[in-house]
Amino acid sequence: MVKKMNETIVLLEHISKSFPGVKALDNVHFELRSGEVMALLGENGAGKSTLMKILSGVYTRDEGNMQIFGKECGNLTPKQAQEMGVAIIHQELNMCRHLSIAENIFLGREKRKGIVLSDQEMENEAKAVLDELKIDLDPRQVVGDLPVSKQQMVEIAKALSFKAKILIMDEPTSALTAKEIDDLFRIIKDLKAKGCGIVYISHRLEELQHIVDRVTIMRDGQYITDMNFKDATMDEIIAYMVGREIKEKFPHVECEKGKKVFEVKNLNAGRLVRDVNFSLYEGEIVGFAGLMGAGRTETTRAIFGIDPKDSGEIILDGKQVVIHKPEDAIQAGIVLAPEDRKKDGLCTKLSIRHNIALPNLDLICNKLGVIRNKKEEEMCQQAVENLKIKTPDVEVLAGNLSGGNQQKVVVGKWLARNSRVVIFDEPTRGIDVAAKVEIYHLMNDLKKRGIAVMFVSSEMPEVMGIADRIIVMCDGRITGELGAKGVTQNEILARATQFEKKIAAKG
Amino acid sequence: MNQTKQNPLKKLLSIRGMGGALTAFVGLIIIYIVFGIINPTVYSGQNIMNLLRSMSKYLLIGIGQSYVLITGNIDLSIGSMAGMSAMISATMMANGVHPVAAIAVSMASCLVIGVMNGIMVGKFKLPPFIATLGTMFVARGVAYMVNGNRNTEAISSGIGKEAADGFQNFFYYGKTFGVYNTFWIALVLFAVFFFLLSKTRTGRHIYAIGSNVEAAKLSGVNVVATTTKTYLVSAFCACVVGLILCGQANMGNMEAGNMYEMYGVAAGVIGGVSPLGGTGLLLGTLAGSAVWQTLENGLNMIGAQVGIQRLIIGIIVVCAVMLDVVVRSGMFKKKK
Repeated sequence: MVKKMNETIVLLEHISKSFPGVKALDNVHFELRSGEVMALLGENGAGKSTLMKILSGVYTRDEGNMQIFGKECGNLTPKQAQEMGVAIIHQELNMCRHLSIAENIFLGREKRKGIVLSDQEMENEAKAVLDELKIDLDPRQVVGDLPVSKQQMVEIAKALSFKAKILIMDEPTSALTAKEIDDLFRIIKDLKAKGCGIVYISHRLEELQHIVDRVTIMRDGQYITDMNFKDATMDEIIAYMVGREIKEKFPHVECEKGKKVFEVKNLNAGRLVRDVNFSLYEGEIVGFAGLMGAGRTETTRAIFGIDPKDSGEIILDGKQVVIHKPEDAIQAGIVLAPEDRKKDGLCTKLSIRHNIALPNLDLICNKLGVIRNKKEEEMCQQAVENLKIKTPDVEVLAGNLSGGNQQKVVVGKWLARNSRVVIFDEPTRGIDVAAKVEIYHLMNDLKKRGIAVMFVSSEMPEVMGIADRIIVMCDGRITGELGAKGVTQNEILARATQFEKKIAAKG
Repeated sequence: MNQTKQNPLKKLLSIRGMGGALTAFVGLIIIYIVFGIINPTVYSGQNIMNLLRSMSKYLLIGIGQSYVLITGNIDLSIGSMAGMSAMISATMMANGVHPVAAIAVSMASCLVIGVMNGIMVGKFKLPPFIATLGTMFVARGVAYMVNGNRNTEAISSGIGKEAADGFQNFFYYGKTFGVYNTFWIALVLFAVFFFLLSKTRTGRHIYAIGSNVEAAKLSGVNVVATTTKTYLVSAFCACVVGLILCGQANMGNMEAGNMYEMYGVAAGVIGGVSPLGGTGLLLGTLAGSAVWQTLENGLNMIGAQVGIQRLIIGIIVVCAVMLDVVVRSGMFKKKK
């Protein structure tokens, strides 16, 4: 078949969709051509995912027309969409952890001889697809044992195995390392050359330049504009997304560096926290940079008392504190906003009010342990106002908020009490530009109030922009400490890849 | 690296769920040897035959329950369904209805409840614990009602001694090649369901649903149909167990099959079937039901009372699950 380029393969017109109480999409227009990468941009809650779920048959639209390969389509089921060549790679990877790669790839359309599954044939075909993508994996491996990046590759392989021509990727790079992102981009370019149309949803605008041809921008469920990526400046794009201009992407405030608040001495905890030493001072934000798996999250978990420590001291305001469990840390005034909001940070099925109250019940309850409703109410209102959490009221379920607002609730529940050290682990992952800036402002506020801020992030520009001092980790050790002013990405990267010799030799 | 020359144990263990099953088999052998040392009659041919026969009921109920457990659900109604099947078939036969017709009606009634379970859990998303708790009472209620809140007369009083003997021998007392028919029935069904679960598309989908129901749905797996199929399997197995109980007693007992749903859970879980779904092998269920029967049998032989038996089995179930949890969390930590 001759691969025609630049031919419209998806055309969505006047698409509207309502959920109880919200108009998620309002008269949206979207066009995708073959052989291009289309970035679908917008803040959280702009309706990008909803639109793509309609295209892939997960949701049905209320109104509007949908043409795929020039064919008018009614309501699709996910399976019909698949058969038409639409594949979606979800932000939260949708794999069966217990099944093997081959089993996942062929799930729902297993090959059989009579009624018996032909596992060998499926494994061979899976291997062929993986080879085509230059992914070195054994199709018999169990998916749950793979790192996230490889699971994502498997999802892409799955999409290609049914000859998908329209590939939707929702935040594909949010959990990948720089090297893995390169691999992904190589695959995307290959697919493009083969005439696939790719919809690319991402909040990391800086990575778009490597692969994107056109952009479509949405805001509040509406189509705003589309254009060639080359013709637009980053500021323009952001202005369209936010509806106003953001003056500073990385607002930085200068504070007097005060006294030492927090010190970690010779901390060891498992393979990924080895002899870690650092201090935090009043009036500064300390960024923790490094590659994925460098041991930064593990360090925060060990400090906070989630994982056991093998050895080491933790000193707060000159006094040694003993932390065996998170309660100890919270009592001492050390709090953690964890990496995975939905898993570790929030009770998604509880209301905002209950989430904020949860770690503060000691303050809210009277002596008999009965919750004082008025106090709880006050505390939550205060948090919602201080953090500008966008919600009609505090009884909304935390799981129903957008990513940025969820993150604010996570932070808010800790700020309701007087904490001395706040540890942020990837606080801006998966949230949009405007919400990111608000999180930065929040950290700056803490800094101004003399609270020590430990800021773990894999995105170098934000670490460089927000932090005053940068500590770099690699393979469980601290490999460098840099002032944030005038530092370059290369300097950080050099330290982030300083593996010990024996390990470098092995891998 | 050298995949061709893997050591055979490692290769065996690489099959998912095999670890739990093998652990149960090892436990089985140890238990058997220990009891045999205390009381050598445990090793006698007659005892082995009895053992095989009595474990067959638990194996069958365990197969049904394992199918449901692997999807991450549970079926609490199978014990009552076994009672219902025993009561319906016994009542009909005691009134002179041909055994084949009696079996057919029992089976149909059980399958109706199975479909109800499947639709409630699969389609209407009722929590399986609640949905099948409901059908548990319904089935037991039917068991009570069919003969007017009384146990039945002997089935021979209706269909005659010859036919009754035929029925009883087929399900319980008769032997083929020196082994009780009950065991052959269980073995044949075991082979069939083992094949369905490990070699067919439906089987694969059962694991997928237990692993990640959302992913399965998005891959085009018919979750409602597959869930219903697992409940049909459990209903089918429950019905067969009911017929065995009827054959054993020569009558219908209203309390027949009481607690069997939990025996099924125990057999599966001891054999490494995860109550959270996604993993488990019927080989494990086989080992689990054998562990249980060997324990019960051995404890009987050394004169332990029922209370002690229950207590020990309870501890073993918890330990088996704990082992599973510890192994899992250990693996989790390594990955992090």
